[in-house]
Amino acid sequence: MKTAFIMQKEIRESILTPKGFLWYILTSVILSVLSYLFLTNRELSLLDQGTMLYMIMNFITALGVLMGLVLGADAFAGEIERGTLEALFLSPVKRREIAAGKLCAVLTNWGIIFAISLPYLYIVGKGGQNLLPGILYLGVLGTLLSLIFSAFSMGLSARIKSMKNSLIISFFIFLLAGAPIFLSAALRRTWFGRIFDLLNPFADAVNTFDSVVIDSQGLSYQTGRVAIICIYTLLCIWFLKRSAAKVQM
Amino acid sequence: MKKTILTLSMIFFATMLNYTYAAASGRITISINPPSVQAKMGDRITYTGTITNNSGKPVTNLITYISLANVTQGKEAPMDLEDWSANKAIRVDTIAPHGTYMGKWPMRLIDSGGYVAYITVVDKNNNIPVISMMSHLDIKRVLRLNPNNVLPVAIGEPILIGAVFVFISFKRRPGVR
Amino acid sequence: MIILVENLQKRYDWHTALDGLDFSVEEGDIFGFLGPNGAGKTTTIRILTGITRADSGRVLIDGHNVNTESAEIKKIINAFPESSGYYEWMTAYEYLEFFSHLYNEKRLRRETCKLIESVGLQGKENHLIYTFSRGMKQRLGIARALINRPRILFLDEPANGLDPKGRKDIHDLLINLNREHGTTIFLSTHLLDDVERLCNRIAIINFGKIVRTGDVKKIEGKGTIEDIFFLSTQGGAP
Repeated sequence: MKTAFIMQKEIRESILTPKGFLWYILTSVILSVLSYLFLTNRELSLLDQGTMLYMIMNFITALGVLMGLVLGADAFAGEIERGTLEALFLSPVKRREIAAGKLCAVLTNWGIIFAISLPYLYIVGKGGQNLLPGILYLGVLGTLLSLIFSAFSMGLSARIKSMKNSLIISFFIFLLAGAPIFLSAALRRTWFGRIFDLLNPFADAVNTFDSVVIDSQGLSYQTGRVAIICIYTLLCIWFLKRSAAKVQM
Repeated sequence: MKKTILTLSMIFFATMLNYTYAAASGRITISINPPSVQAKMGDRITYTGTITNNSGKPVTNLITYISLANVTQGKEAPMDLEDWSANKAIRVDTIAPHGTYMGKWPMRLIDSGGYVAYITVVDKNNNIPVISMMSHLDIKRVLRLNPNNVLPVAIGEPILIGAVFVFISFKRRPGVR
Repeated sequence: MIILVENLQKRYDWHTALDGLDFSVEEGDIFGFLGPNGAGKTTTIRILTGITRADSGRVLIDGHNVNTESAEIKKIINAFPESSGYYEWMTAYEYLEFFSHLYNEKRLRRETCKLIESVGLQGKENHLIYTFSRGMKQRLGIARALINRPRILFLDEPANGLDPKGRKDIHDLLINLNREHGTTIFLSTHLLDDVERLCNRIAIINFGKIVRTGDVKKIEGKGTIEDIFFLSTQGGAP
């Protein structure tokens, strides 16, 4: 129950604010521009519809992860810097309840981004292949990725106690996770590229979207990658729990 | 201008070569169908190439592929078919004596303009490739302002989120509530 | 005794914050904890309230070990930290209501308003905190520290930033809490006037060690609190 109050506080603090809404309006504007370009621009509009859907899904996932990282970096370090964490720690709330409340708020943020993206996914994927499986996989894997990266960033913020530093490290991790996008196809086919792709939860999610939406492959093809994402989720939640328990003023 | 002359010369040379070689050797001939196409952007068409073995012996290990060149004034260039067609090259193992092989090249028309398509057959045992006649492809531009009803969503959703924000801000004015 | 501190030690990297602290506080005391800046006052309060762990030593609050029974302790204590921040986007009422929820306190709106009134913020309950002056925020912080009706109240420089009227109001509030409800008050301050006015016992800390402790009245027999403070923190004897 206390987790719910913390979550409610976090939502009011981070989401139902001008800053929060600005993020959502920007998300929606970017998705509007992308969808319009995909569907009307001469070259882009003639991309295969599955490819368009896949590209939009990647963008939404990256956005959710990025916002999760920022909110996670603020979770403990931001409160310490603003001097509000001490009062929270004085109250009879367990550290893990605080962490869980904050994590749930980040998931709510992801839920809002996902909800914002649904009309765009529909108009881009309508009449094409695998729209529904695509949305389903985006919902599940996006939630797990959001958990992974925000829990990690939150744990880091609890240990480092500096919002600036935890943000820098979190962004570095985000870039590292997004690196496969920048790697050439040839490099990704090398043993290094393959291992990096497999061990990178972001790449696992992107490759799963590719497999589901473009290649129309079923669940049995996805189990390995989804299992790796699940393992990362558990590891990061464990890291957050440990880090939150150790926070001292 | 140089580029235009070069491209047209290449096409002319290829065409002449087709006639010349087909006439000279006669062992393999290739035809392209349809010979001309009028279509609009986004349409899907399929080119069919018919390779005929005119000799009394089987021919083996042929490679055949389609090429597309933009001949629109000022845009003359060979096209990268990556976005236009999935099937670029087809390997033909054997064509029996006096037999034929039909290859199909489905194509999605992604840009407007005037094009020529032609099919080439490469026989490893001959030094000169066999090239079909050119099929003229005229693609009309399609202006799609609201495909899949994208406009209401693209314009409406940011406005809707903004309206929700204004509503919440109005309910929670700074200072006294 | 309601607070017992034995041989408390705390180091931060290269700096020793507490170096074998020993003292005790009786129930019903208003205990003045004095010391110059950096003497270890805030660290001591953080350890006593369980938000920082000591490296060694023992702290018992009402017989409960602060390291192992923090849930029990949190029910009977509360604190007003020196560097207290606020959720400035909340109203004063929402702020106290939020903490009431964390204490599982089902308060009526009337009770919360009464608490707000008790710290002199009447009429401000529906104002957003960011519109408050520093003094008003201090008062709200003290109201938050009273939300669970604590038996022991730790206050770290509560009068900082308050005008004379505000200071007097806080003094009256603390005296009232102590007399009417028997609340033990642990007051960390460097305002010696406050100590003279409020406290019955004091401890003076310097370089992480208690250098003087005793009843205010007995100490005052040997000189003013100010004299004792300066002599103690300079290493001399009164």
